[in-house]
Amino acid sequence: MNTELEHSFVELLEKHQNIIHKVCRLYTNNYDAHNDLFQEITIQLWKAYPKFRGDAKFSTWMYRVGLNTAITLYRKSKRSIKTQDFEGVSFKIKAEDYDDTEEEQLKLLYKAIHKLNDIEKALVFLYLEDKDYREISATLGISEVNARVKMNRTKTKLRNILNA
Amino acid sequence: MDGLDLLKKDWEKSDSKYPKLTYDEIYKMILKKSSSIVKWIFIISLIELGLGLFLIVLNPTLENSIESPKWLDVFYYATFPVIVYFIFLFYKNYKKINATDSAKTLMQNILKTRRTVRHYILFNLIFGGILVVVSSFIAYMQMENNLQLLNGSSEAMKYTVVIFVILLITLLILGVIYGIYYLLYGILLKRLKQNYKELKKLEA
Repeated sequence: MNTELEHSFVELLEKHQNIIHKVCRLYTNNYDAHNDLFQEITIQLWKAYPKFRGDAKFSTWMYRVGLNTAITLYRKSKRSIKTQDFEGVSFKIKAEDYDDTEEEQLKLLYKAIHKLNDIEKALVFLYLEDKDYREISATLGISEVNARVKMNRTKTKLRNILNA
Repeated sequence: MDGLDLLKKDWEKSDSKYPKLTYDEIYKMILKKSSSIVKWIFIISLIELGLGLFLIVLNPTLENSIESPKWLDVFYYATFPVIVYFIFLFYKNYKKINATDSAKTLMQNILKTRRTVRHYILFNLIFGGILVVVSSFIAYMQMENNLQLLNGSSEAMKYTVVIFVILLITLLILGVIYGIYYLLYGILLKRLKQNYKELKKLEA
């Protein structure tokens, strides 16, 4: 039953899975929580997939469902209370790729992002993914002007955390 | 280099750092059950709808020991279409919850669904409360009329106990409903409400 649908969905998701990983990276800070959120986003995407129409890009559609799950639908599980360090688990940055100062700075940056609220995280995510204000406004349901204002405030907030 | 530029550079290069889930691993995931707040809201709402029905079924006027006036029965049966309407409204709002909407619309639809159930519960509590008070009063009046026929106070005591038990059960049910509400709003909707407020604040 539905095998055709399942197959096309899993194939597309396998190809675009990094989008979900990236959402999880900003919204969780340990390996278990990352996996939990990844799974919930996958389930939500699968539930919404029958209504997915080819007129939207699969990846654009994924951004929306992914962020909605992280911001609104996801119920943090008990497992996410564990404080296993994220950097130490599966995303360890190879030392040769970065100089120490950059690596240190990046650690601080991700730490600062985790201190932001859910909406600010969404803005940072969309900024990092190079989304224009039209798409940001449509994803969050706010006007373009307000998206721009909030984006600038969020960037300033991040810089302030870093400079503190 | 500005911190944000550094972050962006790292972000763009990060693709290779994420674990690569296989086809089978993803397939297994879609077979699992969701634990989203919408699912929990649905379950808790069903419990609440059921509790509301239970409260109505518990209607003390239906007890044989109390002769209720006809108008009270009519009043009671008139609530059934209202309950059906609430359940229909709940289902309609629930169906509107769509993960592909904008964040704000999604939050609004979830809150709207919750509001339907809250109104339903409020309707039940007010209506149930009126019924309990009126029926208890009628029962008491009947007891007063029969008081002269009773020898001693043992029968009168029995009626008083019955009325107290009815009130106690009503209070107990109210307590359970309050508990469920506390659970729901305290745990499930706290984050959603915070985020919704944050988005609304932007539009102000």
